[in-house]
Amino acid sequence: MAIQFILCFNKQGVVRLLRWYDMCACNGNGSGGSSSNNNDELLPQDLIAQIYRLISARDHKHQSNFVEFSERTKLVYRRYAGLYFVMGIDLQDEEPIYLSHIHLVVEVLDAFFGNVCELDIVFNFYKTYMVLDEVFLGGEIQEVSKDMLLEKLGTLDRLA
Amino acid sequence: MERKKSIIGNPTRSTSSTTSTIKGLQLFIADLRSCQQTQEQEKRIQTELVKIKQHFNSSSTKNTSHSHGSHHDKLGGYQRKKYIAKLAYVYITSNTTKLNDILFGLDQTVQLLSSTAFSEKFIGYMTLELLYEHRQVVEKVNEKVTYYLLQDLSESDDNFVALALHFVGTVALLPFNQFATNDEIISAIFQILRSPTSSHYLKKKSALSFLTLLKANPVILTDDMQRKQLWIQRIVSLLDDTSNYRLCLAALPLVEYIAKNIDSTYCIRLVPQLTEILYNCVVVGTSSSSSVANQFPMEYKFANIPNPWLITKTVSLLSFLIISQNETTNKQLQSHSGPNTLLYASNLNPEVLSKLRQCVTVAIELGMRTCNDPMEKIVQNTVLFSLINFASKLDPTDDAIKSSVNALCSLLSSPDINTRYLTLDSLLKLCSLSGEVAINSVRYNKNLGLIFNILKHERDSSIVRKCIDLLYTFTDSENVKLIVEELLNFVLHSRNLNDPHMKSDIAVKIAVLTEKYAMDSNWFVIISLKILSLTNNNAPFNDDGIWQRLCQIVVNNSHLHKLTCDQLVDYLYKNECSESIIKTSAFLLGEYCGKVQDKISIANLFNLFTDKYSMVSNVTKAMILTTMIKLYNFAPEIGSWVIKFFQLELNSLDIELQTRSYEYLKIIQISKMSESNGNANNNNNLINVLFSPMPPFITKSNPLLKRLGGNLQPSSSPSSSSHKASAGSTTLVESTTPMTTPGVTQRPPPPPASRTNSMVPKSQEEYYVEQTSTLSPNWREGFNRMISHKQGILFTSPLIKIIYRITAVKTEERIDYSRLRVELSYINETEWDITGLSSEIFPFKVQDNPEYIIQNVALPTPTKISMGHGERSRQSFEIVIRKPFDVDNCGPLLMVHFKCGGNGFNHVKLKLGVGITHTLIGNQDTGSMRHVIELPEFIQRWKMLSTALGKDGEFIFDSVPFKKDATVDMEEARMTIRQILKRLGFDIVEQNSVKNTIFVSGIIHTKSDGNFGCLMKVKYQDDGKINLTCKTTLGGPLAEYIVRCTKSAISR
Repeated sequence: MAIQFILCFNKQGVVRLLRWYDMCACNGNGSGGSSSNNNDELLPQDLIAQIYRLISARDHKHQSNFVEFSERTKLVYRRYAGLYFVMGIDLQDEEPIYLSHIHLVVEVLDAFFGNVCELDIVFNFYKTYMVLDEVFLGGEIQEVSKDMLLEKLGTLDRLA
Repeated sequence: MERKKSIIGNPTRSTSSTTSTIKGLQLFIADLRSCQQTQEQEKRIQTELVKIKQHFNSSSTKNTSHSHGSHHDKLGGYQRKKYIAKLAYVYITSNTTKLNDILFGLDQTVQLLSSTAFSEKFIGYMTLELLYEHRQVVEKVNEKVTYYLLQDLSESDDNFVALALHFVGTVALLPFNQFATNDEIISAIFQILRSPTSSHYLKKKSALSFLTLLKANPVILTDDMQRKQLWIQRIVSLLDDTSNYRLCLAALPLVEYIAKNIDSTYCIRLVPQLTEILYNCVVVGTSSSSSVANQFPMEYKFANIPNPWLITKTVSLLSFLIISQNETTNKQLQSHSGPNTLLYASNLNPEVLSKLRQCVTVAIELGMRTCNDPMEKIVQNTVLFSLINFASKLDPTDDAIKSSVNALCSLLSSPDINTRYLTLDSLLKLCSLSGEVAINSVRYNKNLGLIFNILKHERDSSIVRKCIDLLYTFTDSENVKLIVEELLNFVLHSRNLNDPHMKSDIAVKIAVLTEKYAMDSNWFVIISLKILSLTNNNAPFNDDGIWQRLCQIVVNNSHLHKLTCDQLVDYLYKNECSESIIKTSAFLLGEYCGKVQDKISIANLFNLFTDKYSMVSNVTKAMILTTMIKLYNFAPEIGSWVIKFFQLELNSLDIELQTRSYEYLKIIQISKMSESNGNANNNNNLINVLFSPMPPFITKSNPLLKRLGGNLQPSSSPSSSSHKASAGSTTLVESTTPMTTPGVTQRPPPPPASRTNSMVPKSQEEYYVEQTSTLSPNWREGFNRMISHKQGILFTSPLIKIIYRITAVKTEERIDYSRLRVELSYINETEWDITGLSSEIFPFKVQDNPEYIIQNVALPTPTKISMGHGERSRQSFEIVIRKPFDVDNCGPLLMVHFKCGGNGFNHVKLKLGVGITHTLIGNQDTGSMRHVIELPEFIQRWKMLSTALGKDGEFIFDSVPFKKDATVDMEEARMTIRQILKRLGFDIVEQNSVKNTIFVSGIIHTKSDGNFGCLMKVKYQDDGKINLTCKTTLGGPLAEYIVRCTKSAISR
């Protein structure tokens, strides 16, 4: 029912943004409990590497923006110039709305930084997290009005 | 600095630099980026880490007291923030691998939380959010973090509270931390959510933080009943202001989680509000009249569509709260909360229902609208798919389903790949929810061709997968050849199919489909062999199931022996043939080598197997060894080669092969010895016993055997176990006194439902059995009448009378005797009005090769309007008899619900006596060729059946009491019985030579298994008892079913 994680990396696979809301994607058996020393548990960095391999290998003209990833997770992603924005969502979720999620974040970033590019995200990674936190919370979208978001972000950005 | 390259490609916008920056951080990042080599970069990182460590150390030694103010803080908040930000950067860009290198900064990170400056606090929380997935981090700092968190949650500055809420919302679901069990945190967050003085900004954040806590620990709302009620009501009331889109959006996921996982009772009341929200977005927001559309706030439009997020979330919650007819049984059986806490579409307020349906219609129109902006198209489709998936909940009419299907199918040829993917996905859902109507309108409108086309040309494997799933759902006995051949072609020739898993998946699907729907056994064999021959490129593929199943079927169906063996020899002659083919050959050619002698000599067959022997695995080798001794047994003249071969294999490295060869050699030796002893009669005795022909497989679980007309049931005397079982359960049903009496309300009204054969729980049969224990009293009378009469009274009570009529369905060309139309009329017997009449027809099975299928169910008309005294309501449906079944135990159930005179709901639950004997037609009726059977022919046929099947296919029932138990005039009895038999459909053999017996014949029609002849002797005795003996051309229990029906008709 929600976003499990948000991940952003460039064509070379360098991670630019990473936000876990639910680590169940790392659990092979998907139990996600607090007691876990399972062997089939994936380290986050292995998971990221797997996702990168999977997505960067996909053909953007001839393949869709959705791909099933594990027993519990499917990925919705979009590429903007050299950056991939990926969301891991539950299998029973309806995918298309998450494309809007991604596009909204990118539009907000674009307006916030003014014609955003990868370097903005690199140098101001902490501000990007601030943007993420205003748009999403607990794996759910919390605000979709761009005017509202930009006004708030502007205020926060000016705070000492 | 590097050239700035926009990621969104919108160069017209002016570049404005953002306000606050951390210079040192920017320099460090720029430094790292200018490093050409990773080694250089690594060095730069390490020196920076050393520098930061020194700064931290010096500050902590000189400033040991963790006082609040930053006045005594030697390091200074800005410095601290800068260093921690650098550590965070190192952590992120190392793909989290440098955790241990930066852990030294953990205490300083926590220190940032105590800052009064927003930017410092922010960096502290942000970094901890990144690190909180690690156990060592949580263990070390959780106590302190909790302290600052509680402090910030009660801050007066909204921005600080927001930071704390973000933190909880981000990490509470990660392992190791215990926030979700910390009552202080839970209460603090709920307080923000419920307080009337909290700003909307914080309310929406607290709703989502609370959701995270709840997901991590649902006990929050379940262990205290009072709290549960109060809190849930508070939460649900967040949705009361339907025009506050901001709050609604955040509250919806929380409410949905509660509805699904905690308790849905509190959420039902939301349906009208949710409908309002949806209607305002979908219908008002997209209105072509701008004055109407302007009522929808511009800031909530995205890509020209009104708030797609709100739409999808509202639909998602509504889809859960509203339960459709098709799902009813499903949820009754599976849902924890039970169906009573959900709302049936039929119980929806008509205004609400009509608004929801309007939303669906508008969404479909919207989806068809052309637009050039790709994002707008995506959002349009998002809304379209979301509402189409929802539409099946709204008891759609067939036309509504068809229009959904048409809307979707027109998107199948979309140039946009995502659209095609989602369309297929949505079609799959629609077909599984709306069943036959949806499936048929996809199949019969040239759309099948479109889907084949996508299959051929699509390069995205997930789309191909959806395509295959969809085709799989569509297959039935009518189109199985077409679809299987397309799939086979795809596997054989597609250049886009590189995934071996998918290939094996398709092969298995083909096998299942051919097995399930094949009507033509030759075709079945040819396709199965093709599948088996397919697999030689990918060895790992486990298809033992496929070849084993094939062998079973071939063994049990003697008419397939020759065809299959001939085909196998052809395959073996090819240079490359798959191991599965060799296994199948080893088994079947060993059994039936005699059948292929016109094609290949046994010696050559032996040579073929020797050739293959070297190429296969040890398991297959062992099988071939057995084949060889079977060949020897059939043609001892190849003995010397066989012996040589076994002798060679005595040296095999594999113990199994060695043992087998040794044993087989011994067997040959023994048989030769007995031969030379002149024991001519016992020639090869041992070997004959060991390798006697394969008896038929007795596997009840294999549905295919029956379908192919083979003999599946263990052939035994009439009092076989199946007989006992059915007799036993019949008495069970009868002895359990039904508890429901018409006119007495017993439970909340079940929904009216016309069942289709999709989406049915596995335990349908259990549910069926459960239902039979509460049949209305006197059901048996109508049931028996239905068996013997084609029309009559099914049920009467002081309230309602039900009459029925059964006819065979006439299609354009001919009468289809295996398809029966049942018409029911409900007549109001009371002086009051009967309202809300609805019915449900419930088959024994809907999956796994059901014996009969109920289809084209028309609801009672009129449905909602009341029926006055003496007025009628009619209903009809069809039953397709696919194969023989026991109507006593598996007949369809009819459940009727209605309201009468303010008495609340009444139920009538009946078993319908419609089954196998209704497809019984005498010889002369079936066509222009009028053929009357005379007694000699009857006797001849009877004997033929005895020779062919023995006691199988025969059933005897002695001493059936005739209905008038007083003294019976023989002649009168004869006439009555003749009449009953005639009414059942039998042909009566006119004869005078055998006085007290009536000879009858007839043909039973079934859709899947074909037609079967049936002969019966009805012998009536002086004591008024009747003996029935029936023989059918099909072995198994068919004769028993016929006798039981006849018995019901006679002794009624």
